[in-house]
Amino acid sequence: MVSQAAHANEDSRQALLSVADLDAGYPGTGAVLRGLDLELFAGERLLITGPNGAGKSSLLQTLVGLMPMRRGALYFHGVRCASDEDFALLRRKVALVFQDPDDQLFCPTVLDDLMFGPLNLGQSPAQARSLAQAVLARLGLSRLAGRVTHALSGGEKRLISLACVLTMQPEVLLLDEPSNALDDENWQRLVAILLDLELPMILVSHDQALQAALATRILRLVDGRLRALAEPKSVQDQRRDQAFASAQTAAAGG
Amino acid sequence: MHIVDGALSLPVIVTGTTLAVGGMAMGLRKLDIERVPAAAMLSAAFFVASLIHVPVGPSSVHLIMSGPAGLVLGWAAFPALFVGLLLQTLFFGFGGLTVLGVNTLNIALPAVIVGALARPFLLSASPRRAAIVGGLAGAGAITLTALLVALSLSLSHEAFWASAQIVLISHISIMLIEGAISAALVSFLRQVKPELLVIPLQTRAGEE
Amino acid sequence: MTSFALQRLPALEAKARAPRSLVHGLDARLRVVAAFGFAVFVVSLPNILALLAALTLAFVVAVNAKLPLRKTARRVLLVDTFLIFLLVMLPFTTTVSGPQDQMLTLWGMPASWSGLWHAIRIVLTSNAVVMMMLALVGTLPAGELVQALSALRMPGQLVQILALSLRYIDIIAQEYARLRTAMKLRAFELRCSWHSYRSMGYLLAMLLVRSLERSERVLAAMRCRGYTGRFPVAPTRPMTQQDWGFAMALTAACALIALAAFSPDLSWLEGLH
Repeated sequence: MVSQAAHANEDSRQALLSVADLDAGYPGTGAVLRGLDLELFAGERLLITGPNGAGKSSLLQTLVGLMPMRRGALYFHGVRCASDEDFALLRRKVALVFQDPDDQLFCPTVLDDLMFGPLNLGQSPAQARSLAQAVLARLGLSRLAGRVTHALSGGEKRLISLACVLTMQPEVLLLDEPSNALDDENWQRLVAILLDLELPMILVSHDQALQAALATRILRLVDGRLRALAEPKSVQDQRRDQAFASAQTAAAGG
Repeated sequence: MHIVDGALSLPVIVTGTTLAVGGMAMGLRKLDIERVPAAAMLSAAFFVASLIHVPVGPSSVHLIMSGPAGLVLGWAAFPALFVGLLLQTLFFGFGGLTVLGVNTLNIALPAVIVGALARPFLLSASPRRAAIVGGLAGAGAITLTALLVALSLSLSHEAFWASAQIVLISHISIMLIEGAISAALVSFLRQVKPELLVIPLQTRAGEE
Repeated sequence: MTSFALQRLPALEAKARAPRSLVHGLDARLRVVAAFGFAVFVVSLPNILALLAALTLAFVVAVNAKLPLRKTARRVLLVDTFLIFLLVMLPFTTTVSGPQDQMLTLWGMPASWSGLWHAIRIVLTSNAVVMMMLALVGTLPAGELVQALSALRMPGQLVQILALSLRYIDIIAQEYARLRTAMKLRAFELRCSWHSYRSMGYLLAMLLVRSLERSERVLAAMRCRGYTGRFPVAPTRPMTQQDWGFAMALTAACALIALAAFSPDLSWLEGLH
């Protein structure tokens, strides 16, 4: 709700992905999410924080239809998703990266795992292979192509689990604690990759450094709803820089 | 392919149970105490595999994966597969109690045989060749099991023979599916953890 | 995420402990022995009336054990298509022994009464055994089952394999379910295709590899807590009056059935087998 206020001046733009008045939770349990509203616009890197057990992962799962919605509506490109078929189509465009890469990777080699998604989408093995190689090259991970996935380090596995969904050529990325247990080098690489992708994304994270490096907007999940936090520092800095620059331009022009 | 209580004659039950107990004794005797957790964990994994249903045409079959079990476990496949069958019987009511020994024998013996036959070919096989050997092992184990099931039934009552033949033919699809999945499974193990295939669990005693 | 959750072992559900009844209060060893003894007894019964009586007895115990009846019926009836086929075929594959034995002729195939009765006997036998077993043993919590089998002299290594399997089946099943969910997110559907089978093979192999590595960690952790290859077995409590009462009642009921079934005075029943 607050997010709508914050984006009042952007209402003319259509949200890429949005939910309104959402209730969700596993069958037989209380609702984890209650009356939640969320809008993701093109070019945004939305970061969601909140206490453990607040339902952050549940929110990401609801967004791709893994957790049933009890109430509310979900729109992708302004079109409502309701049936299982709708969500099956949505999942081809909205990719979720799991918190634990071991929940995602199951093929013998890195290349096999990257080709899995495209093969499911009906591509030929040759097409899938070249797409997988292209994604690896773009992420600077080509050296891992023939490696045994199971033998990779935790950080490498995380980057590969991201690569695996990128071969699906998604329009939106959902990342669950993407910087968990990453060493410095892989952390830097992940941030560089995510900035370079220029995909709209929702990140669930507690990582302050990640917030500062990536987030264009931060929301906090409390009591089943999202609340806006103060603008991330990076955005403030950017604003100030812009203001400073325009002031300078004005001064120079004047 | 579980046989139920009441279908088999006493001589078949006694013979099958005796042989199954022998197989289990063999498996347990060779199983070093240090390898017990590994055997248990693999037993649990194969049990989980047996709960998976795979579509075949309009119907579906559940997996058995006895071929890979024989490759990975060797003689320890007897106790491991017995535990799986016991749990299926006790908690789900699949199969029966008096036929537990025969059912164990019918599934575990082919696993051990196929494992012993296929293992030498996997020593230095390429992933592709490992897949072929694994596929043959997977399909072969199911074929042998189907034959043993048909044999136990027709030794019990001659009236079972005609239908057992038809059942054998109808199991061709299951043999193919188990073969295909085993092929991929063995090819994976060849690439990721080859030592699992080359030395069966129960002979890896004391190796640390 | 629940869509790929496999059928769970009842013994792993906390609910397995919840209902109180005569059966739930019985000694675990007694329940295991009674289930096996009953199975051997039923298999040796000669005719259909005796089998019906045994089935009734199993039903009475199942009701007392508060087995969820509809769920149990589904489980009991859920036999292999293989078996159904065999039973349906039996009247046709059993040689017709005389003109009286001929039941009907279908597409030129003679069906025999003796084959039909044989099929019915198998169905009654297996259902009586399974129902009694689900009532007595299927309602046991996993830990008690392991203790009981250990007390009944099952070899120690086998008991340990059983105990550790029971402990980890659920964890491995959940790991399987999470991987399947992740595969679904990458547009995977289990179909009748080589791509599907290959993916399932990889998935199962990954489960095997991780299970084995988990077992190494578990062994290390067990060693840190003083494991030397043996599980401590809790002392078994003595049989109570209730246990003896149940044992005698069940034996008496079975004896009655046996008496009626094998008694020469009731030899007219033989006509029904």
